[in-house]
Amino acid sequence: MSHSSENQQDRILYASDLGKRVKSGEGELVILEALSLDVGRGESVAIVGSSGAGKSTLLGLLAGLDAPTSGALELFGQSLEELDEDGRAALRAGRVGFVFQNFQLLPTLTAMENVMLPLELSPRQDVAAKSRHWLTRVGLEGRLSHLPKQLSGGEQQRVAVARAFVTDPDLVFADEPTGNLDEETGRRIIDLLFALNRESDTTLILVTHDLALARRCDRCLKLENGALQPLEIDRHAEVSA
Amino acid sequence: MSLIALSLKGLKRDLRAADVRALFMALTLAVAATTMIGFFLDRLDRGLTRQAGQLLGGDLVLEQGQPFDDDVRQTLREAGLRLSDQVDLVSMISQGDAFQSAGLKVVDDHYPLYGEVRVDRGDGIEAVAHGPPAGQAWIAPRLARLLEVKVGDTVQVGSASLRVGGLIDREPDQQGGFSGLTPRIMLDRADLQATELVRPGSRIEYELLAAGPPAAVEAVAARFERWREAGIEVRDVRVDRPSLGRSLERAQKYLSLAGLAAVLLAGVAVAMATRRYVDRHLDTAALMRCFGASQRQLGQLFAWQLGWLAIAAAALGALLGLAGQAGLLALLVRFLPLELPPPGWLPFAMGILTALAVLVGFAGPTLIRLRRVSALKVLRRELDPIPAAGWVVVGIASLVFGGLLWLYSGDPVLAVGILLGGLVALTVLAGAAHLLLSLLLGALSRFTPSGNGGRALQLGGRQLARRRQASLGQLLAFSVTFAAMAIIAVVRGDLLTTWQAQLPEETPNYFAINIQPQERDGVETLLEDAAGSASGLYPLVRGRLTAIDGQPPQARVPADNANDGALRRDLNLTWREALPDGNDVTAGEWFDPDAAMRATGNVPISVEEELAGRLGLSLGDTLTFTIGSDTVTGEVTSLRHLDWESFQPNFFIIFPPGVLESFGHSFITSFYLAEGNDALLGEMVRQYPGVSLLNVEALLEQVRGILTQVTRAVEFVLGFVLLAGVSVLYAALTASRPARAHEGALLRVFGASDRTLSRMQWSEFALLGLASGLLGAALAEVAAVGIFTWLGLSPRLHLTMWLSMPLLGAVMVGGIGFLLSRSTRRHSPMASLRLLGET
Repeated sequence: MSHSSENQQDRILYASDLGKRVKSGEGELVILEALSLDVGRGESVAIVGSSGAGKSTLLGLLAGLDAPTSGALELFGQSLEELDEDGRAALRAGRVGFVFQNFQLLPTLTAMENVMLPLELSPRQDVAAKSRHWLTRVGLEGRLSHLPKQLSGGEQQRVAVARAFVTDPDLVFADEPTGNLDEETGRRIIDLLFALNRESDTTLILVTHDLALARRCDRCLKLENGALQPLEIDRHAEVSA
Repeated sequence: MSLIALSLKGLKRDLRAADVRALFMALTLAVAATTMIGFFLDRLDRGLTRQAGQLLGGDLVLEQGQPFDDDVRQTLREAGLRLSDQVDLVSMISQGDAFQSAGLKVVDDHYPLYGEVRVDRGDGIEAVAHGPPAGQAWIAPRLARLLEVKVGDTVQVGSASLRVGGLIDREPDQQGGFSGLTPRIMLDRADLQATELVRPGSRIEYELLAAGPPAAVEAVAARFERWREAGIEVRDVRVDRPSLGRSLERAQKYLSLAGLAAVLLAGVAVAMATRRYVDRHLDTAALMRCFGASQRQLGQLFAWQLGWLAIAAAALGALLGLAGQAGLLALLVRFLPLELPPPGWLPFAMGILTALAVLVGFAGPTLIRLRRVSALKVLRRELDPIPAAGWVVVGIASLVFGGLLWLYSGDPVLAVGILLGGLVALTVLAGAAHLLLSLLLGALSRFTPSGNGGRALQLGGRQLARRRQASLGQLLAFSVTFAAMAIIAVVRGDLLTTWQAQLPEETPNYFAINIQPQERDGVETLLEDAAGSASGLYPLVRGRLTAIDGQPPQARVPADNANDGALRRDLNLTWREALPDGNDVTAGEWFDPDAAMRATGNVPISVEEELAGRLGLSLGDTLTFTIGSDTVTGEVTSLRHLDWESFQPNFFIIFPPGVLESFGHSFITSFYLAEGNDALLGEMVRQYPGVSLLNVEALLEQVRGILTQVTRAVEFVLGFVLLAGVSVLYAALTASRPARAHEGALLRVFGASDRTLSRMQWSEFALLGLASGLLGAALAEVAAVGIFTWLGLSPRLHLTMWLSMPLLGAVMVGGIGFLLSRSTRRHSPMASLRLLGET
């Protein structure tokens, strides 16, 4: 089941009958089956599910990091089936941001250099200024030249958030963004993520097993048995998935 | 930002990484070693080419035992050539009671046709374009020392008294031959008659030197054959390019070999460092894919990054090479008979090409992994691209190294031979490494430890066993490294031993020539009484080879050697019952005293093997010599190897007794005269005035000097090879450091002390080094056989190497590995665990 964006022009992502099967020692393993999804501009969508449900696989497919074995997928109105891996990469360039559970900062680069990395792929002049702006925005103006190992987990994730937004993306994927953080730090990161999402009018697709976090999104979907189901959440009450 | 700028930025960030430093070090050393040798050999080669005319004295040199006819001069002049007459002879020079044999060079007003004479006329060395004026003699500084004369003194040359006008520092045409063996004295043609040295029967060489454009030389080339038939020796600069002495030529080969060994080692280091570089950049590449970089962009980015590194390494390496060649030159310049041109650009370009080729060949296949990385790796860390197959890595590296071998040696057959041999050796080596490692680990597992040392050894062995594949790779790399280092070291040692053996104590320092048959017994007795070792007297008959198997030699010898000097001049023939000392029969049999004549009726003769090779002679061929107006024919029944640098009388052709005695002949001998025993010389001159004595002490000193300096040059180059070997160790240990840090951190957390970790790591590295040294010694021993044959040395077993290499390997790998792992032991367990996130 899926929610349709009201206007095709506002559609950011559209998946129809998406499937992913992999071969294993015990035969073919179905990870995702006939999954559909429609996400509009500026929307925030949470995908929840238990460990091993295939959340990361789905995120990889939606971001064009991996190819589905069946179904159709459109990103920014472009069908991904028609594109090879390089074509999908070109589609992502500058338009998709990522926040990962394990931060994915390069250990030999400073905070500033890590944020500059996605900007450096396309010729532009304001790389340093923009990176500094976003690091300041996430509260790390005094940590620009620090290496990841010199930063706390929360600070590292803020660098990752700044890196995700530095290209002014249309869409940000967040994969368990608080998974490696304590509760208080995680809450601050999420506050930051949603604040930036609102400020930038960015679409956010968030994968998590944390219902409290999912509750803050416009829409919640539950991934179970390879398919997505809408998850009704009482935004004022305790909910279990 | 453009990819180029991005790559530069990335490289700048990367300079902190040990693998990048290892790559830079290896590439720098490869370029430094090759450009050092390249600059040196290039300067030598261009110097010889440019100054060939100067070294020869002219573009064309005619030489004979009598003055030249006017029609020869006329022919040369009409072709547009400038001429200069020169007379060479050997005579005794005296001043008071002191006398010395000297090589006289009598020059005319046109001397020198090329170059300048560097002479000290009392006001320091100056370059002049003429010979000494009439009434003066310019002499070699050594002759001045021996005669104890200085500029302004008078010396006696034959019947003429000449004023010493200057000391010769360098002359353009320093020739070989007997006159070249003795200290030089140069005088003007106008003074020749007054010396009264030109008498019937005197051994005098008249030279007519000609200079002009190649077209002018070509215009008279048609006359060469006729002149040669008339007994004139013709040297054409286009054909008779001067060459260096044998020791220097052998040193050149060694230098090229050492340079390539350094390149190979650097290549191995590059391959190992690249693995770590690629592992470290997989996350970067995956992230960049995630941010939208294409495979092509990634490939270009990392190619540019390493390309910059190679160019920077090439620039630094070339600078080091430039400095190194200056060092080489400083060691050898004294013995090079020419002024060398400044360094050219070619070796520099070759250096950059070498660095890029090493990078492409040894790093390329591994780097391709970075292109293949999937963006999905950011979500699933285990999704690493599959490494290139081992055979692809080795295959591409071999092809590139083979190309470099070809480029540097100029010999495709040699390059392919070395490459195929190397690949076979590598396959065998891989099998041997596997076996050795299994035996070593098997022995250690059965070993019951006693004490801390024993336990550490067992722990070290377990570490090796856990990383069996990695250990096997390191064992292979280290053994190739040790083998290359050992080969260069043992070849150096054997070169030196061979060279030193060439000139033992009491090597003859005098030659006596023109000993007439009736003077033979007297001279022999005199020498027996007063001289040290003597070679014995050899009869000498001069004859020209005029037919091979009944055909003119030029038609019979290989086309390339139709102008061989041996066909254009009289050869020194001798007869001898026993094989001379220092000669070895390499084919056929020495003369059977009971059957001097062959069943075929031909006289048996023995031919020197190099001459036989040049002229395409083999056993059974008949050679006809014209001696005066007669001919004598013999059949080749043996080929001989002889040592031309032995300072003994040596002969291309030896007849058995009973054939040449009826021809006009004289005798020649060489002997050693200790310093201070000059009375013999006086006695010899007094009793046998017709006998010419040649003092070759100066030449001996020069050869000894060359050997000493060449030895130092060889040691200098060996230093670079050793450094390249260290770069392999550094790269390999750097590559495996993260895995060791990981294990070390865990062991620290589990309670291992710093001391236990130290011992364990030291044991692991030392065991690896021990096995590598053993395997390296085996490889070096096999390879040395081929290389020694190539260098013209006799192969032998190197027992010391078998003992020293395993020990050296244990100390080197153990020591360097221990030091490089120090940082992983220094961290607290907590800090060590935090480091794991970076491995």
